[in-house]
Amino acid sequence: MAAWDLTVTVEDLGPDAPPLQISVASDLHIGGVILKLVEQTNLKKDWSDHALWWEQKQQWLLRTGWTLDKCGVHADARLVFTPQHKPLRLGLPNGATLKMRACFSSSAFRTVMGICRVLSKKHLLLPMMKNKDSSEELYDLTDVPLTAGSVQALYNGMPAHFADSPKTEAVYKMLSVSLPSSAPEAIAKLYRPASVVDKTHIHTRWLDSSRSLMQQGIQENDKLWLRFKYYTFHDMDPKYDAVRLTQLYEQARWAILLEDIDCTEEEMMLFGALQYHIGKLSLSQDMVSSCQGMDDLESALKSLEVKMVGDSNSTDMLESMTAPELNDYLKIFRPKRLTLKGYKQYWCKFQDTSISYYKSKEDRYGEPIQQLNLKGCEVAPDVNVAGQKFCIKLLIPAPEGMNEIYLRCENEKQYSQWMAACKLASKGLTLLDISYQSEVKNIQTFLSMQRSNSAAPAAQTDDSINTHSLVSPRYQKKYKPKQLTPRILEAYQNVAQLSLTSAILKFLQIWQALPDFGISYFMVRFKGSRKDEVLGIANNRLIRIDLGIGDVVKTWRYNNMRQWNVNWDIRQVAIEFDGNINIAFSCVNADCKVVHEYIGGYIFMSTRSRQQSDTLNEELFHKLTGGHEAL
Amino acid sequence: MDDIDAMFSDMLQEMDLLTQSLGAEEESAPLPKPPSIPDPQQMNFSIGFTDFNASLHDLEDNDLDALMADLVADISATEEKFATEQDTLKGSAPVAPIPSQPQDNFSLPASTDTSRHATSSNSIAAPPPPPASKPSKEELEEQIKADKIKLALEKLKEAKVKKLVVKVEIMDGSSKTLMVDERQTVRDVIDNLFEKTHCDCNVDWCVCETNPDLQTERGFEDHENLVEPLSTWTRDTENKVLFQEKKDKYDVFRNPQNFYLWKKDKKSLKDMKEKDKEQLLEENFCGASVIVPDLEGVLYLKEDGKKSWKQRYFLLRASGLYYSPKGKTKASRDLVCLVQFDNVNVYYCKEYRIKYKAPTDHCFILKHPQIQKESQYIKYLCCDDEWTMTLWVTGIRIAKYGKQLYDNYKAAVRKAAGSATWANRSLQASSSASTPSPTPKARAANGHAPQPAVETKGSSNQTSFPPPPPSMETLPPPPPDPMMPPPPPAPPSATKVNKFPPPPQFPQSSFPPPPMDDLPPPPPPPEDSELPPDFLPPPPPIFSSCGGEALPPPPPDPIASLPPPPPAPQNFASAGGAPPPPAPPPPPPAPAPAANKPAGSIRKVAPPPPKRTTPQLAAPSGGDLMSELMTAMQKKRTQ
Repeated sequence: MAAWDLTVTVEDLGPDAPPLQISVASDLHIGGVILKLVEQTNLKKDWSDHALWWEQKQQWLLRTGWTLDKCGVHADARLVFTPQHKPLRLGLPNGATLKMRACFSSSAFRTVMGICRVLSKKHLLLPMMKNKDSSEELYDLTDVPLTAGSVQALYNGMPAHFADSPKTEAVYKMLSVSLPSSAPEAIAKLYRPASVVDKTHIHTRWLDSSRSLMQQGIQENDKLWLRFKYYTFHDMDPKYDAVRLTQLYEQARWAILLEDIDCTEEEMMLFGALQYHIGKLSLSQDMVSSCQGMDDLESALKSLEVKMVGDSNSTDMLESMTAPELNDYLKIFRPKRLTLKGYKQYWCKFQDTSISYYKSKEDRYGEPIQQLNLKGCEVAPDVNVAGQKFCIKLLIPAPEGMNEIYLRCENEKQYSQWMAACKLASKGLTLLDISYQSEVKNIQTFLSMQRSNSAAPAAQTDDSINTHSLVSPRYQKKYKPKQLTPRILEAYQNVAQLSLTSAILKFLQIWQALPDFGISYFMVRFKGSRKDEVLGIANNRLIRIDLGIGDVVKTWRYNNMRQWNVNWDIRQVAIEFDGNINIAFSCVNADCKVVHEYIGGYIFMSTRSRQQSDTLNEELFHKLTGGHEAL
Repeated sequence: MDDIDAMFSDMLQEMDLLTQSLGAEEESAPLPKPPSIPDPQQMNFSIGFTDFNASLHDLEDNDLDALMADLVADISATEEKFATEQDTLKGSAPVAPIPSQPQDNFSLPASTDTSRHATSSNSIAAPPPPPASKPSKEELEEQIKADKIKLALEKLKEAKVKKLVVKVEIMDGSSKTLMVDERQTVRDVIDNLFEKTHCDCNVDWCVCETNPDLQTERGFEDHENLVEPLSTWTRDTENKVLFQEKKDKYDVFRNPQNFYLWKKDKKSLKDMKEKDKEQLLEENFCGASVIVPDLEGVLYLKEDGKKSWKQRYFLLRASGLYYSPKGKTKASRDLVCLVQFDNVNVYYCKEYRIKYKAPTDHCFILKHPQIQKESQYIKYLCCDDEWTMTLWVTGIRIAKYGKQLYDNYKAAVRKAAGSATWANRSLQASSSASTPSPTPKARAANGHAPQPAVETKGSSNQTSFPPPPPSMETLPPPPPDPMMPPPPPAPPSATKVNKFPPPPQFPQSSFPPPPMDDLPPPPPPPEDSELPPDFLPPPPPIFSSCGGEALPPPPPDPIASLPPPPPAPQNFASAGGAPPPPAPPPPPPAPAPAANKPAGSIRKVAPPPPKRTTPQLAAPSGGDLMSELMTAMQKKRTQ
């Protein structure tokens, strides 16, 4: 057979080196080509990761047993001899960027699995892929400017344990502990989708999971975003998956801060309070791994406490029967129509869940002027640290309605004690409750935060958090920090007792309960329609949205779906539902492969939820997401 | 000891009141109302509740009797305990009934838990004797003293448990009265009522409260505690507790599509496949967070303090009820929060067209449970039609209670299904029971209500009222089948009709049969044998009163019935020993406190019955009380 010259560029020779010419015959197999090539370079090194990339055809020649003829390679082919694993920069949900080695030659699906395996390797002693898997996908970032707040963490890595060096440990910490919130100004500068149309643009950029990174034009050192793509989260167990939980939280947090998902003011305040709480707890945690250890310890302590109560001898019990009290002079004010009376000072006694007040300390053994049972009441702070105003607003339910009463305290210390007591009493707990001390402390911390805010808004220390950084720019504009802080404080009181993981889980829960949660938008044109519309894809349904008014026109549920397919010639997705309902649409700004893969992916996830195995059925995934496209 | 005395005197007082009111009742109403007792088939119960004394007056005779029976049991139990304590604590002064002590608890509208702690004390009472009497008393004396203090403290705690006597109205206008412990959930109460009413026990049965002032009605959720909301009623309230079937209680779980796919046309929803329904439930209730139906639409809102109703576009979210202000979009950011659900409940309203000039009669309100009268703090809403109202009220319940609602439903379904199996099971169990119950059916009945049986009078009752047994059969006892088989030897005599606290559940769990084998019954018997005679007499009279004509003269009864009690105590005593494991707090040294604990921790009022069975009651001091009681009863009967 006639020999001919094959042109191959060897990257390792340097960018300026001319391509090598090797003499081959058409029946030479790829392995032979590589052998010849390596001999010709005269370089001693490990070539095992290298493979041939056919530039014009955008494909890898990975089957070393195939002949050139079989691969269709002729003299005009320009091949590149290059490593299959290359460094890649990954934008994580928390805004940090991670540099790591990824496989450019296998399908994106496998590559992502490989990456996830690395990220949670140390922690996941169970099978690595454990559902980190397909819920994360790569974002092609080429046209996305990534701005402030990204920690450049280097992790050059073959799969290795994070504990290898302080540096890798730091990486792990970055992954598994939520990062402090960025400055409000930075948040405001980040890109925010202003409309549904904007949101459709984001989703045009998902990579095709059946093709390799190289095939999709990703170059060495390019930056991709790593995100949870499918909003179906199975068994979130914080014990095994701190990284996953944290990153999920970060993704949720940024979705809310950047108004990617809409929420109401009340919800935003609660999100803000939770962020504050999570941030505070994360800071105080020196060791990453302690996060689950802490929870265990906490529960162990709790049960220990219970035991001790049980074991206490009778005298102790006697003592504990007489509950502690708070006694002090406070100013009380009861707003009533047509009265101009202001605050008046009384001697107040807090016992069990009630406040009794007397004219003076000397009268305390007599009948109180009034006794207020706080069980079931609403407690709201009315505080201005700068103005030294420490009021507790109580709304005490009575048969006729609610009684409004203000208690005015002298100082922070008094306020935090009485406030904590009121808070507990409203839940039916007494001063005896173990949470009392921590409640007092929480209130004090929050007050100090407000102090630093109002005193020196310009000079932020690391400890104090600007409440503006806890809400989205819309609310930054709407409220001044001074107005915002009390509202977040109010919401904070309901979550202050949560542990770190339960706070994160709570945040995720509220996020998932939002009406628009988990909907990915695509601009499409339905068959027979003359205008562009938006198709929302959620984990259980498809939603047709009218662009003009933004209303949901129709929803179809997956479990009514008979079949779906893609006509690759006219790039149209066709779906058939029960009852002979057929819809077909083409995608306006995304590749219809992306849409097809999204729907298939959700159906894949729903099959998974039933079998609950740790390994992914890759074949099934590709079958469901790949369509009948010839690869 | 003082504590005990005080408590005891409290109890005495209560008894006084009871007997007084009994007397009063007598005059006005002739006792013979046997039909209600023997005829447990009445399906409907209505309940009204007031404070203890008042309620007593309203009660039907049979209710009274039942209440009495309970109280007697409790008291006798305490007495017995007293007695045993006295024995052990030889040094202590005579405990005899000391009515002179002041009692504050008493004034509470809710009768304080006399029965409760009594019961607990009872279980305690049995165990202590062994250690004290057998080993050298001197050594153990100290220990015993300490135990007793602990015991007293426990009892103090117990004493804090609030109890209410609740009259539950049933649809046909009849009513049942029962005592509800503050630790009991609505589910427990419903189970109770199932037993008393012999209804079909389906999942739709619901305990509701009505408020005539506000013209509202709300079904309590199964996981709620009943006592808490009831204690917020005003003293002069005309609120009522109803027991009725409410189709909308769990409709969302039977037909989730009507709520979650409410936008789709009704026809396509009607014949939805079960599999699809399940999936809907799975999606919305089994995820990390419960998904609230995406309700939205125009409702009328009564403006604060005004008479006018304004149309607004409302949206339901997990975080609360919102409306979109005029001229704004429905986007989340523009929504105004009308109310969040943490502190309010949702109530159906009646006839608001007349009362508040509402556009339609399909109204619901959101208010703090303690608000009982018209107030600016109540949110009044009005819907176009009934279905819309159901949709919103159910949606709000889901938002407020979340997964708990689904858990309640599943538990209710399990119960309903279990009732059938239960019947079979109890039959088998009962057949093994040795007591001389007249008919196999009666035994079956006993099977599920073992403890109460202990009462000697019970046996007499049965003979006199043949009807009860059959009814019991039909009655699917609430005790879930998961529970262990009915306590074997339990004296079958008890007519459950009398007892209101359906003890079945409790005893089963707390007194597992196995322990009986381990624990040597010996200790209790001696005491028992002596005591029974004293104790027994009183009960019969009570029953006789309720039984009416049919009852043979009381005196003979005790004798005849005597035999049964002894065995019972043994069981209980031994069983009492077993429970300790569950009870975490009390230190091991004294078995008595341990036994006490479990009793206290359980929710059911039920426990009392078993205890009372113990013949130890005979306590010397008991004599006075009992005789007092006896005379009261006698008086009643003669009248």
